[in-house]
Amino acid sequence: MPALPSSEGAFPRLEVHGTTVIAVKFKGGVLNVGDRRATAANVVMYDRADKIIPLDDYTLMAIAGAYGRAMEVVRYLRHAFKYYARSQLQPMSLDGKLQEVSRVLASNLPNALSGIGLFIPILSAYDPDQDAGRIFFYDASGARFETPDYGAAGSGAERIRGVFDYIAKTKGAFSERPLEEVLREAILLLDIAADLDAATGGIDKVLPTARYVNREGVFEVPESTLREIVTSLRGG
Amino acid sequence: MLTPYDFQENIQQRAQYIRNRLQAGSPVIGISYENGVLLFTTRRRGRKVFEIYDRLMLSAIGNQADVETLRLAAIDFAHQEGFVRSPDDVTVQRVVGFALSPALKKAFGDPLTTPFVVRALFGELHASPERDLFYILNYDGEFTPAERFAVIAGTTRAEEQAMRFLSETLDGIPTFEKAIPAAMVAWGIAREAAMQEEGEPIAESRARERLREELQEAQIELGILERQTMRENRFRLVPAEQLQGYLRHL
Repeated sequence: MPALPSSEGAFPRLEVHGTTVIAVKFKGGVLNVGDRRATAANVVMYDRADKIIPLDDYTLMAIAGAYGRAMEVVRYLRHAFKYYARSQLQPMSLDGKLQEVSRVLASNLPNALSGIGLFIPILSAYDPDQDAGRIFFYDASGARFETPDYGAAGSGAERIRGVFDYIAKTKGAFSERPLEEVLREAILLLDIAADLDAATGGIDKVLPTARYVNREGVFEVPESTLREIVTSLRGG
Repeated sequence: MLTPYDFQENIQQRAQYIRNRLQAGSPVIGISYENGVLLFTTRRRGRKVFEIYDRLMLSAIGNQADVETLRLAAIDFAHQEGFVRSPDDVTVQRVVGFALSPALKKAFGDPLTTPFVVRALFGELHASPERDLFYILNYDGEFTPAERFAVIAGTTRAEEQAMRFLSETLDGIPTFEKAIPAAMVAWGIAREAAMQEEGEPIAESRARERLREELQEAQIELGILERQTMRENRFRLVPAEQLQGYLRHL
């Protein structure tokens, strides 16, 4: 039996492709911010990739990893959630949606292990029962974890982990702060990630994507708002 | 005594049976307005206006179980098509013409099955109001496309009267604020006309009164598909509070 194609131990290296996607809570919801760069090895394939995708009116998915496979899964999930809501005349429960994401990740594991289809999503949702935003992240096998205040995925995520901690400890929990403040922090975090990680696109050439979910639904932050923040971060 | 089977008589009897049962149905008024498409009706118990797909909705009069069968068949077809190909390939023309109409026709013509007691109105949203589409699907599988507005009601005459009122009232593409009062009166006309065997055209005042009477026991159900929206889903039911202002002027 051939050895697993890896030089790093029992498992092949589960490489998450270059990206930084960030999910942070704010008062009343969850904000997602993502860079736009798509890479293949050291080639920048595309600089307008959208990695923050609404699954329905109360759920956002931020993706890091194999873009093609992730998009196929997103298409499936969007149809699955909407089909359920339309046919059953009630939305699928949050737990039902989270299980569905686990299931598709688990079934994607062979692809991930063969090195072609790994992607790691962060799921942000508005939970009507708790009247609050919630953030969940997954591993490649579909295990689900809830994070209390913020989460990030992609090659730049680990580099900025300490910055999240610093902000939360010096300025208070993200979940207690208004959207405008948290948006600015998230763009700054993305800027730092781009500085430290070659595979993360910056915020200057192409504006990042920012979407949020709250009681009213899923919304996109307008380009003009993002432009203002980027300009002010650059001291303009 | 056994009489020989007469196809024509059988069809006529089935059609008469269905028409009698449809007569008491709450009319549905569809109007294409600047920022969307609306389906306006009333309900006493269950839901009446349904989301079928991203840009498609449905309301119907008839037997509840038959409406449900039609609704689920439309949703199944739309989602399969949208997933296998693209949401852009899901059109009312395909859903009604290919997925639903032949099945209705088959059930209607087959003397050994119960025909569907249903008359349905589909509304499809497009990028501009001029391109919005309505499709009326009849119990016998016949379907008719319409633009700008459409009505289904208990009788053909009721539909014609309400349509005449809408074509006289709606000058071009209305705003939402103008479409709602027109839909309310059109509903009253259609309802009142369906209840009368013969008679004069229904006056507007009588139509308003008819809706007021209805709302003592029923409530308005208004489904819209929004052209410009920040939301992921274009379809939503307009909450009753938002209609209070219009009802005060009824």
